[in-house]
Amino acid sequence: MAQITFIEFDGTEHVLDIDNGTSIMQAAIDHNVRGIMADCGGACSCATCHVYIDPQFADKLSDKSEMEDILLEEVCEPAETSRLSCQISVSDELDGMVVRMPERQI
Amino acid sequence: MSAQTDGPVYWDPYRPDLGKDPYPTFKRMRNEAPLYFNEEYNFYALSKFADIDKHFGNTEIFSSARSDIMEFIREDIDVPPGMFIWHDPPMHTAYRSIVTRVFTPKRMNALEQQIRDFCAKCLDPLVGKDKIDFISDLGDHLPGGVIGMLLGIPEQDQQAVRERIESSLRTEEGKPMTAEQASYTGEGFEDYIDWRMQNPSDDLMTELLNAEFTDPEGVKRKLTRDEVLIFVNVIAGAGNETTAKLIGWMGKLLGENPEQRRQIAADPKLINPAIEEILRMEPPGPSVARHVTQDVEIHGQVVPAGSVMLFLLASANRDEDRYTNGEQFDIHRKDPPHITFGRGVHACLGAALARVEGRVALEEILKRFPDWTVDLENAKLSSSSSTRGWDNMPVIIG
Repeated sequence: MAQITFIEFDGTEHVLDIDNGTSIMQAAIDHNVRGIMADCGGACSCATCHVYIDPQFADKLSDKSEMEDILLEEVCEPAETSRLSCQISVSDELDGMVVRMPERQI
Repeated sequence: MSAQTDGPVYWDPYRPDLGKDPYPTFKRMRNEAPLYFNEEYNFYALSKFADIDKHFGNTEIFSSARSDIMEFIREDIDVPPGMFIWHDPPMHTAYRSIVTRVFTPKRMNALEQQIRDFCAKCLDPLVGKDKIDFISDLGDHLPGGVIGMLLGIPEQDQQAVRERIESSLRTEEGKPMTAEQASYTGEGFEDYIDWRMQNPSDDLMTELLNAEFTDPEGVKRKLTRDEVLIFVNVIAGAGNETTAKLIGWMGKLLGENPEQRRQIAADPKLINPAIEEILRMEPPGPSVARHVTQDVEIHGQVVPAGSVMLFLLASANRDEDRYTNGEQFDIHRKDPPHITFGRGVHACLGAALARVEGRVALEEILKRFPDWTVDLENAKLSSSSSTRGWDNMPVIIG
């Protein structure tokens, strides 16, 4: 279980307790956090669940796959801290992490 | 009246009376038969959002290896190499990796100006007329034109390509498709491919010819000429008909909701939500089929291996457990996203392209024609087991 704060582009905050093993994308969709679309539902193929991750937690996240790396170059407004939220699985280590939504996915 | 209101709920994708307005029937299915079985055509159907969200992406049980069209699954058609949408992982993964990196939001948005110019070319000659047709004036031309630009197909040949694909998907009213309609060999594209092999450019066809990928045997290779032909055919087909239908539904829904249409015209920020709401209300591909490869229990009932399962995306999009007043068209809704583009590894490759085409088309239409009324008497709807939308959508301007 980890407590993760989602911040929508307009500043709306959602503080959510999320079970281990749930993806950040799924948690956001389940709680109707606005700002991600996640067309493919977690298959790392649509690039519409782009988020910015708290840099402090960068080394606690699993490595990016080749496809995630490719797709992250193709999202709108990519940054150093960009990830596809479907590829991040929640664990105790991520307790306290902040996830920011981009202005747009498409 | 299209929906029956008493007796056990009945639905099949072929009956024109049910296809005209399937939503009351879908609602009954969600409530009375969330796992529906149709004896006459021998298929199962899921209609609840949660069920589709859970099962649709599970390729181990719900396979695409016999296609995603009910009639073809039953006939166990031969799926050739390169027909990537009709493969399961790991082969699908290898093929899809080639095109996933092409159809991304950023690369599709980069086409915006070209799409805008194309819309202007279609719409400018219509200014001043008292009647236009969302399909014959725009939907018939824009998606084929854009996909033609992407692929590098000469403009004068694009219409012929579109007509061939349309006729391959069309079913006679009330009848299933036949296996002969499974056209995927890429007939008609051979000349372009051979010419592009000699004359590389910066188009998608050249990219497909040169792309290297690792197949499931671990061999790094390029697509064969036959595989490229099929890829091109799939992309051209998928990019044409569905987006044309999106434009038709745009005409219909915004024609019938003038207040919301005026809000969109006044506030460009509402364009994207409007496109998403049109996609939710009326998905051009309302149902998608899968072949069930192993017994699976759903709602306490075993669906046996070998069955056909239809996933009713159009029903899921209005599921009252997920959407407030789901039967209402509301561009301001705050509900979570729709499932029109599917789920899992097969989720629509062209979603980003469809969205940018829809957005730009709507912007360009509203600039020239802020007000219209649907001429429903002269509009014709067609539906098959895989698509549903308008063959023409005439509207009266003003």
